[in-house]
Amino acid sequence: MSAIAARFREVRAPGAAGGPLAGRLLATGAVLFAILLPFGFDSGSGFIEDCTVALFYVVMALGLNIVVGFAGLLDLGYVAFFAFGAYTMGWFGSGWFNSADIHIGVAEQAARLPGIHLNWLLILPLAALIAAFMGALLGFPTLRLRGDYIAIVTLAFGEIVHTTAVNSDEGVFGIGSFNLTNGRAGITPVDKIDLPLVERFTSLELRPWYWTALGLALFVLFVNVRLRDSRLGRAWVAIREDEVAAISMGVPTVRVKLLAYALGAALGGMAGTFYSSFVNTVNADQFEFSFSIFVLAMIILGGLGSIWGVVLGAIALTFINNRLIPDVLNDVPSKVGLDFDLTELGFGIFGFLLVIMMVLRPQGLIPESRHKAELAAAVEEGELATEAHA
Amino acid sequence: MESASVTARPSRARADVIREFISKYGLFAVLLLLPVAYGIQDLRDDGDLSRLATNMKDGLSNGAIWALIAVGYTLVYGIIELINFAHGDLFMLGSFVAFSLMGTVGLTTSTGGIALFFGLLLILLISMMACGALNTMIERVGYRPLRSAPKLAPLITAVGFSFILQNVGLLWLGGSHHGVPDLIESQHRLFTIVGVPFTNGDILALAVTAPLVFVLVNFINFSRIGRAMRATAQDPQAARLMGISVDTTISFTFLLGGLMAGAAGLIYALYQTDVWFFAGFTAGLIAFTAAVMGGIGNLMGAVIGGLIIGIIQQISDNRIGTEWTPAIVFAYLVLIMVFRPQGILGEQTREAG
Amino acid sequence: MTTAEHEREAALPPRGPAILETDHLTKQFGGLTAVDGVSFRVPEHSIVSIIGPNGAGKTTFFNMLTGLYKPSLGRVIFDGEDVTTKRPDQITALGVARTFQNIRLFGTMSAVENVLVGQHARMKASVFGSIIRPPRVRREEKDGREKARELLAYVGVDKRRFDDVASYLSYGDQRRVEIARALASDPKLLLLDEPTAGMNPQESERLTGFMRKLRDERELAILLIEHDMKVVMGVSEEVTVLDHGEKISEGEPAKVRSDPKVVEAYLGKQG
Repeated sequence: MSAIAARFREVRAPGAAGGPLAGRLLATGAVLFAILLPFGFDSGSGFIEDCTVALFYVVMALGLNIVVGFAGLLDLGYVAFFAFGAYTMGWFGSGWFNSADIHIGVAEQAARLPGIHLNWLLILPLAALIAAFMGALLGFPTLRLRGDYIAIVTLAFGEIVHTTAVNSDEGVFGIGSFNLTNGRAGITPVDKIDLPLVERFTSLELRPWYWTALGLALFVLFVNVRLRDSRLGRAWVAIREDEVAAISMGVPTVRVKLLAYALGAALGGMAGTFYSSFVNTVNADQFEFSFSIFVLAMIILGGLGSIWGVVLGAIALTFINNRLIPDVLNDVPSKVGLDFDLTELGFGIFGFLLVIMMVLRPQGLIPESRHKAELAAAVEEGELATEAHA
Repeated sequence: MESASVTARPSRARADVIREFISKYGLFAVLLLLPVAYGIQDLRDDGDLSRLATNMKDGLSNGAIWALIAVGYTLVYGIIELINFAHGDLFMLGSFVAFSLMGTVGLTTSTGGIALFFGLLLILLISMMACGALNTMIERVGYRPLRSAPKLAPLITAVGFSFILQNVGLLWLGGSHHGVPDLIESQHRLFTIVGVPFTNGDILALAVTAPLVFVLVNFINFSRIGRAMRATAQDPQAARLMGISVDTTISFTFLLGGLMAGAAGLIYALYQTDVWFFAGFTAGLIAFTAAVMGGIGNLMGAVIGGLIIGIIQQISDNRIGTEWTPAIVFAYLVLIMVFRPQGILGEQTREAG
Repeated sequence: MTTAEHEREAALPPRGPAILETDHLTKQFGGLTAVDGVSFRVPEHSIVSIIGPNGAGKTTFFNMLTGLYKPSLGRVIFDGEDVTTKRPDQITALGVARTFQNIRLFGTMSAVENVLVGQHARMKASVFGSIIRPPRVRREEKDGREKARELLAYVGVDKRRFDDVASYLSYGDQRRVEIARALASDPKLLLLDEPTAGMNPQESERLTGFMRKLRDERELAILLIEHDMKVVMGVSEEVTVLDHGEKISEGEPAKVRSDPKVVEAYLGKQG
């Protein structure tokens, strides 16, 4: 057994009944820090904005983690659920359908505006349901497919949604003339979140947004942890490992897979409603394939399936993408005497990071023991094969 | 003793029989849907099928490009079960190389016949070799180290390379579409058959693709390396034990795929008179759809799939609108996966592990 | 029953009600007929073996019993119910469990977790139950773990190994965990595919004793595929012989062993 494989070995399985005390304390500390963080900054600061966006991506990544990390279903079309959630918010929380006049749970001012205006807290479950349904719909054709085929089908689905979003300003697929999404111009403005007992959110005071996002993230985190150590979570690991054995042990693989898609999609949809309200717009350019890869990269960087790793990966990549590359590294070329804009290399740098990550540390920052073990087994097998040849 | 199995009641669930029927014929029905629907519409509107026939002819020419790219996907997938995500962007760079060389070699729209022919031939060879070399290098750096890792790993690497190549394209010629000099007067009508105009572009597509495919098919079926490729695709362990260098064979497969992509790049540049850094993404997905439709791993399947997808794409462009075509093609991909994942020429996979 | 069926019944040795029955079960893969018209029954609370030379179609037959393969022709009836077209997980829920020829444990899960997966069909926690974890679900998890540990001890796994990752357990332990996992669904019929493969004579001896214990204490029926003749002769109440997909003999072990057709199948035509 090689040194590489030995690095992966961990004979004891991940315990199920709660982590060690140190882990719990660390987690509580992190959460407290997160809650108190905004007090150290101006309420309108760019840093809080970045943190809020990072939390949005945390929710997205945790949602995708259920599909890819837990159930092992290679979903490359996750952006579709972001879109469903965002458009749900755009349709039911703005003046879009301006011939309608429906108001539920909204404050004085918004209650006078045309359109459908539901309170965000109502749109949240609605978006979750719509996205979950679409998730199951997407999952259905993939049920009997191999891993990489699942990747392509989900990617195709994501692109279908994207293309539809871009072009549905005059009918859908050339049928009719209804303006569903307003294409690239999009739906704007979008209602601000309006929680009961709290003052209405504005675009100047970012702290309420941040705490809402944090609340959503903590909720999704909770859901992830509970699912991982449950009957369903075990079923997901089982079908990931050996689908034939799983179904022979009584695991209803169809239902279990569809649940993974639906749950992951629901979380993505919920995150989508928040984001569209936060940036006050829903437009088709937000839903490109690169988004799916971005979120996937977060969970791979963090450690596939590892919940805290995924959180870390989401935060890290958001800041690298939104802060490190534009703000910090942008000065570098000119300082060295070269004349180009580093953001033009954004894509390429990101691609480069992906390659480096997979070649050097495919198990991610905080590896999840099971995936580590899988990697170890695969590496060993590969080594045995090459040994046989030597 | 045992009586003859007289009434061994066949217990095939009706659902199973239906599923098999749909698998065999459903795909064809779905493929025929668009042509037949628009054919009927044409007969009603125009009285003849010349518009549809032109669509199909254009589709075949476009399809030649997809076929060449699809070959790269199918060969690589057949041998290492990897979807080479970066392949479409490789094609895009091929078109960029071809375009740039046109300037270097000094070809303009006024260049005459013989010079043009040899100039383009030279560009073809260089584009092919450039893409072949690039593909081989990508395999060496990004996929070989991960050959024994779970499938997710090389897939992500492939996506990473895709982004890198796209960025190279972006830096090279910028973000907008770039016109290519119409060296062969690609829209010039050479002749018309039953109301269908054949242009220079069509002839170009045929003239480059047909020989390449012919050579490739014969190479794979009759040469030593081709045999090695087929053996490795079936069973890498056994191939290794037979003395085949699996690493070299795989590298060679990538080389072949790259060569085809480079050729496709030149045809695309001349035919569309346009190159764009993002063309590889869509092209890649369309070509992959073609490969799957034909039966992944099957060379002729990739070619046939490419031609069929070309027709679908052309009908969609012409009748529904180019902006919807990606969605239509991808919808077809999903349908194929549902009805017949093994594609037209592929074999049924085993039922249980 | 028809006359033909009466005659068939009379020709067979008298046994109790059947937990499993197949009626002309056939499987064709393209041009190849792997299993050809096998009619067969397993009485309740018995131990029955299926033997035959390699390639006789035994595992294919098993796979049809558990729903992994859809039969081309024929029926499978379990506990009085026609399960021919049911999915494998449905059949397991009805009370059939199995082990595999090449051990198929969930390698990255612990022994306990493997057995917990085996209980999936008997546990009821829903999605929301898994997230909210009301007392009922908490109890179900706790009871499940206890049951898993009991089963592992019952099959003879040392309790220090319970939380070890399954792929690092010894071969013998892995086989035991697989059996425990199969027992976890409270089956009425246990299908064992070459359970003594790779075992030395003492281990095989222990396993046969264990099989009898299972049959008596848990009121199980056991259907084995086996190559080890000592095991087959020692533990089976009945033996069925397959060759080239067809049933060529069946009955008590001693009778089958001396059946010339069986000898011929294994050793080739004599003289």
